[in-house]
Amino acid sequence: MTCPWCGADNLDGVDDCVACGQSLSDAHLSDPATAVERGLLADHVRVLDPQDPVVVAADTPVRDVLRAMIDGGTGCVVVADANRPVGVFTEYDALMNFDTDAPALGGRPVSDFMTAPAETLEPDAKVAFAVQRMAVGGYRHIPVVGAGGELAGIISVRDILRYLTDRMGEGREPGS
Amino acid sequence: MGSQLSLHTETLRQVVTSDPICLDPLAPVREAFERMKEQRRGAVLICREGRLVGIFTERDALALMADAVDLSVPIERVMTPDPVALSEHDTVGAAITRMAQGGYRRLPIVDAEGRPVGFVKVGSILHFLVDHFPATVYNLPPAPHHATEAREGA
Repeated sequence: MTCPWCGADNLDGVDDCVACGQSLSDAHLSDPATAVERGLLADHVRVLDPQDPVVVAADTPVRDVLRAMIDGGTGCVVVADANRPVGVFTEYDALMNFDTDAPALGGRPVSDFMTAPAETLEPDAKVAFAVQRMAVGGYRHIPVVGAGGELAGIISVRDILRYLTDRMGEGREPGS
Repeated sequence: MGSQLSLHTETLRQVVTSDPICLDPLAPVREAFERMKEQRRGAVLICREGRLVGIFTERDALALMADAVDLSVPIERVMTPDPVALSEHDTVGAAITRMAQGGYRRLPIVDAEGRPVGFVKVGSILHFLVDHFPATVYNLPPAPHHATEAREGA
């Protein structure tokens, strides 16, 4: 049968969808899934169009990192070694570590303040999974890596918001 | 799950965080930095006679840190004045739309008189979405039909 939640094909008689885990036995009792629900369970991280992150080396002085964040218009940089993410440094990390001491600490390497290891996602992960990782970890950015662990992009909570807005709009279309 | 994800009807009441930090417009920026770090908050509200007049966030703080700005200046000089604010009676969907449009990660919530009652944070909205689905969703491998390909010696 076709999963009413995410559209995946399942063998007849299985209890839970192999792709999204929603119960199939109760599906006839549930309301039809909304466009947002279907999307979160069926769509993959790659539909969020992961952007190129600002990348710095672990020994970059943190004052240069702050400047790179401002110039790059981002609240997050990926700290990488040989194109593999080793940590993430965000504006929240900056605030919690420096507050009024920013000038005194500016020469220290970003590796002293970054969150490590970096949580990562693969492009095949479901959007629902990305949302859950962000919610549980309190992250607003998660690097996306390829099969070999190489940095392939970054998604932000802003991408999630844009995605939800698009899906909510679809849900309001007549006949959908 | 038996209920639909109703972003257009669920109100913000259940996702609002209470007890926001409120500062006077003449408070020094230093005080905002210190209160945000102490209480581990990403933003403070600036209020005059109890009414919301501005917001100062970690994004604003980052810019000041990068430029090594004098932190004794009054916060009204560096805050974002007249921020977008919502009511507890607005829907989760409305908050998502405003956040997406403006690039905001939190929005102040005010009562009918413009007095701040809290924030709706993007993290709270993510939790709201996560709680809607059964936990099994999050334990599945990213691509179940490929899950066995990497197994060695099979």
